[in-house]
Order: sequence, then structure tokens, then C-alpha cells
Amino acid sequence: MKDNPTPSGVPDRLLAVRQIFGEFALVAVLGAAFAFAANQISPLGLALTRNYFPTGTSPSVRLSAGDTNSGPVSPTQFLARQMQEKGLQLLDDNQTARLFRDPRFKQDIIIFVDARDEDRYQRGHIPGAYEFDPYHPEKYFDTVLPLCQKAEQIVVYCNGGDCDDSESAALLLRDVGISNQKLFVFGGGITEWMTNNLPVETGARNSGNLRKPNP
Amino acid sequence: MDAAAVLARWLLGAVFLYMGLSKALHPVDFLKLLRQYDLVQSSLLVNSMAATLPWFEVFCGLLLLLGVAVRGTALALLFMLAPFTVLVFHRALLLQSALAIPFCAVKFDCGCGSGTEFICRKLLENFLLFALSIALLPGRGYQFSLRFNLIKPPAS
Repeated sequence: MKDNPTPSGVPDRLLAVRQIFGEFALVAVLGAAFAFAANQISPLGLALTRNYFPTGTSPSVRLSAGDTNSGPVSPTQFLARQMQEKGLQLLDDNQTARLFRDPRFKQDIIIFVDARDEDRYQRGHIPGAYEFDPYHPEKYFDTVLPLCQKAEQIVVYCNGGDCDDSESAALLLRDVGISNQKLFVFGGGITEWMTNNLPVETGARNSGNLRKPNP
Repeated sequence: MDAAAVLARWLLGAVFLYMGLSKALHPVDFLKLLRQYDLVQSSLLVNSMAATLPWFEVFCGLLLLLGVAVRGTALALLFMLAPFTVLVFHRALLLQSALAIPFCAVKFDCGCGSGTEFICRKLLENFLLFALSIALLPGRGYQFSLRFNLIKPPAS
């Protein structure tokens, strides 16, 4: 492109740059309007004013939790400390498996709550666990809330590891009136459950499609 | 040369359309990934970013595929790519230091819409997208465009 002055005396190159930035501004404004409208229309859209993370701490903060002056902190220790601060109780895999085998589990006196999304739940959950995605709680409150009110112990889990959806779900249940004393979080989540060769159910709750543990 | 520029425009458009849709269809997953960066504390701002960025990418992808406001769109992509590449790089450094592994062995889902990837591959991809966006700025690849210039170009 040449730098010849136009009749107005402004070089071509400068006009071209102005044109690109002008177009960019238009794209930005129209794109933002499109994006907000699409989010509003989409059934999967996010509610802008909602706090999706009542747990507060992001995984990146967890990542650097070992760099404190008090020495290295394992993810389990960090999780336990965080649960304690929130008034929740952390379960390990043995305690969770014991509750799963407890006869009260069959009577819904002990219930398991799966805090992952529908797709992951369908692909495999702890047999008999109720689905409760904390990002779309309105879909599950009708089923899960009365059960939680009646139950004596509620075990909430998600994927395990960095996942804090179980914590979010437990806090959500606490916020709608379920006592802290009843709420337990299985920190290892479905990953640890499967690693321990415990049974997994696919599809809907009580579908009967059980994936047996490996011999 | 112009055929290559048209192909570059289509490729860039298709990539952004795909990456945008893959995030827009799983907004909660994208929100969680975005939260890893600790960009802002306000949930309203994080939610707004997670809700709009994927659709904005879809919008830009469509504009490039159709050939509308190509140069302005390419500039918008550069403004999106540059800060996110810096953020991804910074997060990779954090992970590298936490896990004590070589930089290129760091693998994570950066929230870019392409799933879990090795960082060096991701940076290379971003560099290529960056190069393609820059290549469109001078005004090449106008064939098969609906309206290449949304604003009338200066008379020469």
C-alpha cells in the first residue's frame, strides 16, 4: 500500500488503519450483542448474576497450596482443611464404601448424591446415587431435597481430584436448610471409587446396568 | 497468493467456529476452566466472559467464513488471541513449577475449546492462528466474500 496523500491530505496507510480499527469496533459491538443474545436464548446459557462457585477457592489456588510456609500440603489435607472451614465432613474411600454397604443405604436413610453433570452421571455413577448437578439445581431440587430432608447421612461426590462440585453441591444443600451434620463429601469421587473396583451403574438411577468390578 | 489467503480465511473461520461452539455448548465447563485463571473475583464478570466469549468466537468464525468485515474481524481475533496466549503460558509455568516437569510435558485443558493438550503444541497452534490473522490484515483473500469491507476503504 502506498503512502500517497489523499485529497484530504491524510496518507493512505493511515486511512487503511483507521478503516480496520473502525471495522474492528463494529465487529466488537455487534459480536458482543450477538454473544449476549445467544447466551440468553440458549437453554444451556449461564445466569450472569449467579455465583456458581460458593466454595470460593479456585483450582489454581489449590495448586499453589503446597507453597505455604507451613510446608507442603497434600490435596487431601487441603481438601480436609477446606471442608472443616465450611463445616463439612470429608470421607475417605473406606468410609464411603462402608456407608454404601450399610443396610440403611437401601432405605434411603443414607443417600448418595452425584454432583456431576447429566452426561457424566449417565456414563457411570455409584449405584443408587441421585443426580444433582449444582450448576442446574432447579432441575433436581424436587427429587433430591425431600430425600435429603429425610436422610440421616448424605454422601456427596463428584469426579475427585481437583473437582470441587461435590463441595458446591453440599453447600447448596446446606443453604437450603440441610444440616451440616448430615453432609459428607467423598473427596476421592468416582475416580477413586472406580480405582477401588467398586460397582458402577450406567444410565438412569436403578437402571440395573451395573458395571461389575474387575476380578 | 489470493487463493492461499482465501483458504487461510476459511481455515481461521472454521477453527474459531468449531472452538467457539465446543465451548458454547458446554458453558459450565468453560466457566470452570476460566476460573482457573483467577482473572477477576466478581462472579458477574467471570460469568459474562464465560457466557459471551464462545459466542463471540462463533460470530467471528462466521464472519470470516462468509467474508464479512474480514480485516476488522482478524484484528478482533488478534486482540483475543494475544492475552489468552499469555494467560495460558503463565498457567503452564505455574503447573510446571508445581509438578516439577519439563515445560513441554505440561498438559492441561486451557479452555480454548480443543480439550486437554500439551502446552508446546497449544502455543504452536496459537502462533499459527496469530500468523493467519495477521496475514488477513493487509486485505488479501477477498474472493468469495459477501462484504469484505464493512466500512468503505479509502479512495486511492
